[in-house]
Amino acid sequence: MKRHTWLYLIVAIGFGLSSPISLAATESGTALKADTLRVQPFADAKSSGALIKNEPLEIITKKGAWLQVKTKKSTGWVRLLSVKRASTGNVLKGTVAVATGRAGTGKVVSTTGIRGLSAEELKAAQFNETEMKKLESLAVSKADAQKFASSGGLTANQAAYLKGAK
Amino acid sequence: MHKSIFAALVTTAFIANVYAFDLGKALEGAVKEKIQETTGTKTEPANTDNADNQNAVADTPTAQPQINWKSPSRDEEVAIGREVTGSLLGAAPLVKNDDLQQYVNKVGRWVASQSERPDLPWKFGVIESNDLNAFAAPGGYVLITKGLYQTFQNEAQLAGVLGHEIAHVVQKHHLKVMQKQALLDMGAGLLGDKFGDNKLSKKAISTGAEISARNLDKSAEYEADRIGMMLAYRAGYDVYGLPEVLQNMAQINKSDDSVALLFKTHPHPDERLAQLGESAGSQLDKLKAGKTLENRLYLLR
Repeated sequence: MKRHTWLYLIVAIGFGLSSPISLAATESGTALKADTLRVQPFADAKSSGALIKNEPLEIITKKGAWLQVKTKKSTGWVRLLSVKRASTGNVLKGTVAVATGRAGTGKVVSTTGIRGLSAEELKAAQFNETEMKKLESLAVSKADAQKFASSGGLTANQAAYLKGAK
Repeated sequence: MHKSIFAALVTTAFIANVYAFDLGKALEGAVKEKIQETTGTKTEPANTDNADNQNAVADTPTAQPQINWKSPSRDEEVAIGREVTGSLLGAAPLVKNDDLQQYVNKVGRWVASQSERPDLPWKFGVIESNDLNAFAAPGGYVLITKGLYQTFQNEAQLAGVLGHEIAHVVQKHHLKVMQKQALLDMGAGLLGDKFGDNKLSKKAISTGAEISARNLDKSAEYEADRIGMMLAYRAGYDVYGLPEVLQNMAQINKSDDSVALLFKTHPHPDERLAQLGESAGSQLDKLKAGKTLENRLYLLR
């Protein structure tokens, strides 16, 4: 019995680590705004066509901040933020459906979770001192956060915030 | 009192009662003046808050019988945020997993360290809810739901979402809304309304939710997206973490209960992405490639 438990654990860990993050081979999407398709992934590269708002497209590949896309008329590079991807949600949809028990499978595992936080529920909520103390006890110092960042190879960058559009 | 406060702070706003306070409109002009003259906070971007550090030592945080709404101190701001957050925790407790909570605190604190208010007593938590949502309260409180956490594919996405909430705190979006309401109530008091002086602060907090619905408008959300995205980048992460989360959220059907509150209180993810794209223009082209750290994301099953 004990041995079995271990086995399950190992299997579980294995799945956890190898959980798929890669995206589907071909992704589709739509243009979030009108933009120019370019021959290369640079702002000053030659134009290879125009992207029309809401136009469906196929995503061929990604390079940095750029996506190479194929529309009905042309192929070219466009900035990532000009495109709404349609199939990145594969992983997500599964997770959400299972987690919320709305997949129709009846696989609702968690019963402790609150289903659908509504404005009404939020208004009716009472202050919970125990949970608050817990939250406070779990806080991390700036120095510890810095150590954690370093251990992941993160280094701080300087950059100004973006200004609002128009 | 606890009860209603909470709602106020939340990133989300409550549309239902939006118009409940139209009566206050008559006073709005006067109140606006008051806010500007007494707090100097109009709509300018987050001013660097060096006081965060000193106040921690100078002011002893004690129970606040009265909040100075005209110009709340850092400790008062934290006290307000604590009330709000504690009520939210009353609706949805923390996920019982200290490893997860510490992990989120480390990422959050590191991202917050890149902001203009690195020394607030930042606290982060994941709450038991299958909804997709995240909340910020004045003074450095940030909560995200388990449902949202489970959509993350890497640490950069977590950092981007926390960055958005941190931005609300840094820009004092909710605090400003609450201050406005508090001053409105004071105005009502001056006009001989039934609220006596000693009830002012209480009333102000307890009506925060409705006010927040009316005033935490789209522009505050877009601003939090812009700032949050860059905070994650400043912290060394891939700048596209937040946009990726928005891309993922855009896939979910609007009628799904898990996003009902989120979509009610925020512009649709498509609009948020489009706004980010407009604001970014070519500015992200020259940024360094950041880290995504998918292998370090704490997996919550």
